[in-house]
Amino acid sequence: MRNKFLLAISTALFLAAPAYAASLPSQEVASLRRLTQEEYRNSVSDIFGPEIEVRGVFEPTIRVGGLQAASTTVLSVTPVGFESFTKMADSIAVQVSAEKYRSKLPCAPKDAKAADDGCTSQILSHYGMMLFRRPLTNDEIKSRVALARGLAEKQKDFYAGLRYGLASLLQASDFVFRKEVALPAADKKSYALDPYSRATRLSYLLWNTTPDHELLDAAQKGDLNTQAGLDKQVDRLMASPRLEVGMRAFFNDMMELDTFDTVSKDSILYPKWGSAIANSAKEETLRTMIGLTLKENGDIRDLMTTKKTYVNRNLAAIYQLPFSFTGEWVPYEFSKDSGRSGLVTQTSMLAMFSHPGRSSPTKRGVALMDILLCEPTPAPPANVDFSVVNDTSGALKTVRERLMAHAGNPTCASCHTHSDPIGLTLEGFDTIGGRRTKENGAVIDVSAAIKGDKFAGGEGLGKYLHDNPKFPACVARKLFAYGRGENSEDVSASAFKASYKAFTDSGYHLKTLIKGMASSPEFYGAPVPSVETTSPATKVATQ
Amino acid sequence: MKLDRRFLLRGTCQGALAVIGMPFLDCFLDSKGKALAATGRALPTRFGTYFYGLGLTKQLWIPKNGGKDWDMTTQLKPLEPMRSKINVWSGLRVPLDDNPNYQHWSGAAASATGISPTKQGEFDSKSIDQQIADSISHGTRFKSVAAAAAGDPKQSYSSLGGANTLPAEATPLSLYTRLFGPGFQDPSKGDWKPDPQVMIQQSVLSVVAEDRKRAMQNLSAADKVRMDQYFTSVREAELQMAAELQKPEIQAKVTIPEAPPEMVANNALPNLRKTVPLMAKLGALAMATDQTRVFNFSVSEPGSQIFVPGDTLGYHQSTHEEPIDPVLGYQPRVSTYNIDNMELFVTFLKEMDSIPEGDGTLLDHSLFFAFTDQSFAKIHAVDGLPIFTAGGASGRMKTGYHTPGDGSAVSRVGLTIQKAMGVSLETWGKGSMETKSPYTELLA
Repeated sequence: MRNKFLLAISTALFLAAPAYAASLPSQEVASLRRLTQEEYRNSVSDIFGPEIEVRGVFEPTIRVGGLQAASTTVLSVTPVGFESFTKMADSIAVQVSAEKYRSKLPCAPKDAKAADDGCTSQILSHYGMMLFRRPLTNDEIKSRVALARGLAEKQKDFYAGLRYGLASLLQASDFVFRKEVALPAADKKSYALDPYSRATRLSYLLWNTTPDHELLDAAQKGDLNTQAGLDKQVDRLMASPRLEVGMRAFFNDMMELDTFDTVSKDSILYPKWGSAIANSAKEETLRTMIGLTLKENGDIRDLMTTKKTYVNRNLAAIYQLPFSFTGEWVPYEFSKDSGRSGLVTQTSMLAMFSHPGRSSPTKRGVALMDILLCEPTPAPPANVDFSVVNDTSGALKTVRERLMAHAGNPTCASCHTHSDPIGLTLEGFDTIGGRRTKENGAVIDVSAAIKGDKFAGGEGLGKYLHDNPKFPACVARKLFAYGRGENSEDVSASAFKASYKAFTDSGYHLKTLIKGMASSPEFYGAPVPSVETTSPATKVATQ
Repeated sequence: MKLDRRFLLRGTCQGALAVIGMPFLDCFLDSKGKALAATGRALPTRFGTYFYGLGLTKQLWIPKNGGKDWDMTTQLKPLEPMRSKINVWSGLRVPLDDNPNYQHWSGAAASATGISPTKQGEFDSKSIDQQIADSISHGTRFKSVAAAAAGDPKQSYSSLGGANTLPAEATPLSLYTRLFGPGFQDPSKGDWKPDPQVMIQQSVLSVVAEDRKRAMQNLSAADKVRMDQYFTSVREAELQMAAELQKPEIQAKVTIPEAPPEMVANNALPNLRKTVPLMAKLGALAMATDQTRVFNFSVSEPGSQIFVPGDTLGYHQSTHEEPIDPVLGYQPRVSTYNIDNMELFVTFLKEMDSIPEGDGTLLDHSLFFAFTDQSFAKIHAVDGLPIFTAGGASGRMKTGYHTPGDGSAVSRVGLTIQKAMGVSLETWGKGSMETKSPYTELLA
């Protein structure tokens, strides 16, 4: 086993060897991505086993171009975040070096009461390769073996030393950041990810976890740099049920379902609401998306119109369905006159983008335009005089009237005509997603017109979005940006042109899109580094 | 492996501790330890921020008179008990230069950095608390601590610059755990001894920090900054552990309470009335026991989503949708929320003032900066933000004054604060907000 890792190390040496034009750096770090909470948890579970508990808090993320994934290339680790990483690292290391875990370790020391550099090195190399998603350098192993030896000798306990060696790996920058390294391509004019970084990007996209042994082996052998080798791995990963884990993470990010973490509802007006309903609403949306796109291999546009969903007891209360079924979750099909239409009328979307005590057409409109059509509502221009919509008369009674007052003003209209119509069609649903036809005694007008298209209600909106080519294009753009950790607004449509064509040709099957992207060279490409912004192409002296 | 000096020192001590169990005082009470143990050390001056959303109602809060004899107003009334310990500014300007007026952001960011922000939700420099922490936090366990009363860790206006916000502890329990959970050395316990485990963890961090040189290679300029921040965070964890190895000194006669229960923390006003005093108390205790000298607190986000249950609009929506009452000349419901905010603020200050310390209270040995996002929220106005300081900064800041509008930029307050905190700087802020003029009349 040890030989295998020495081989791996020598491969790394080979890859880092100079093979570049004098003016360009021999390698660049194309992106440095802070692990998300799910990526961290999944990685630890896959590396050490599901029995290892991860207890701790993760730093919040932000959205860039509609995706948290894109913020992972912008954010760093603050002292608060590191404090948490260091505690989690030790807690995991304690569990892995504990008595009951020892049979799973790749070796046992000659004497459990003494240091054993050989065995320490073997264990740290084994886990280190999975944690760092590449073989460790000699220095990285040596410094940790020395740490473990010192502490093992003093405490007369091999495993006490091992614990700290492992802990040092688990909080290293190479674990908490996914460092994606690019090398000059054969044409010397562009850059592309090195094999281990390819494996990493692919694995986190499809499974939302660290690359497994087979993928790392393929990277080590250079297979991921050939189309056939890459295709083989993409097919393998896509055939696994773990693809669902990966796509759930993508959908969770794309649909902004984390918004629920901070949504509160007015407990007097909506006593039904609680965190259990929020969690159920999130799950309903994910089940619907996974069910239609992966399990049924359906047309992704149908997510806008389908009457099929999944409900549990919590949601039955919101949707006012008799909960006569047994089991936690059941598939359910809304009736034709339910007014429901796919994701847009699910509790998740309706409740997340509302106020605590009332619905908000503006919030809903802005969110849906951004999430589903990749059309963020522009910020108001500098120094807008909001006093032009100051309403002192108090004569405007409904939300629609107040919004229309904005839309009637040229300055405000530029934004409000963009997002409000979509939101107004959903006024037939209250702030927690319940259906209603009247507000304060007046019948709610749920009609809208966007650039000549006239429609009404959630079903009209669903149909409008289903037929709008911007929706599938937006999914493709977000998936590409998600996989690469980029701002979706900066992604050029030409970057995923071929896979998008395959996607449309297939009848909008998500799997075709995933396969096309994950096996395309563009997905692994990197910009040529500018000489000014890159450190001199010095080699790591000890490599 | 190259054994560095610190590792050897720690290793030796650790060995002695773990194997022989010899007294470790000789090993750890270095010159600094003795200094800490010595009596009569001056109390440190602490700093804090208090963020509240959506400002106040102009017609109801601005005193007519400046100076010390300012007339009490409807909306400042809740602050009456603290009047002699606060300062009020009413007419500060927030020139945005060529940047947009980012709604519910520009005013807050300008107050905290003296710089008109170029991006929504991001600060164009470190926030003022971090600038001050760089100067006053040496030797404390936490360089700074942020807390948010409404349950959202993102409601922190303490920033390392850009999008790198220092997350807030967002419930009383999580704040308690961070401050007084594992790692806390209770100064009132007579049997204090350094935890050998902390020393081992320090040696682990040394190994992590050794990767720095290699980790910084081949990074873009932006990623270098991010990686550098990671290693700065590693360094802070090392310093935190170093502080945990020092015998803590009692700064004030306080008892650390039991952990608070799990409780709902959100924007509902009744919940905030519970979380604000509890979290303020914990922050006060943290400063009194020198766990931290910088405590940042937020009661809501900018564009405050505070609501009274049963009110379908809530605070923020009310500011935009509630009509201005033609007789009163202002928005009555908004005005009520404004006053609720001042009541929460005084609750916070009372906790700071309730801990006796030397010849006064913790508040007297602190300086708090309270700021907000808007002056007239209905139209997202930023000129005339209601700005406060509280506490005498150990006698370096005069208190009890109202400074009426004199056309000054809001950054003058930030500069004055830093002068009072002993930060050495001559100018603060950028563009039209760059200033060299602190309010010298308020500095003692």
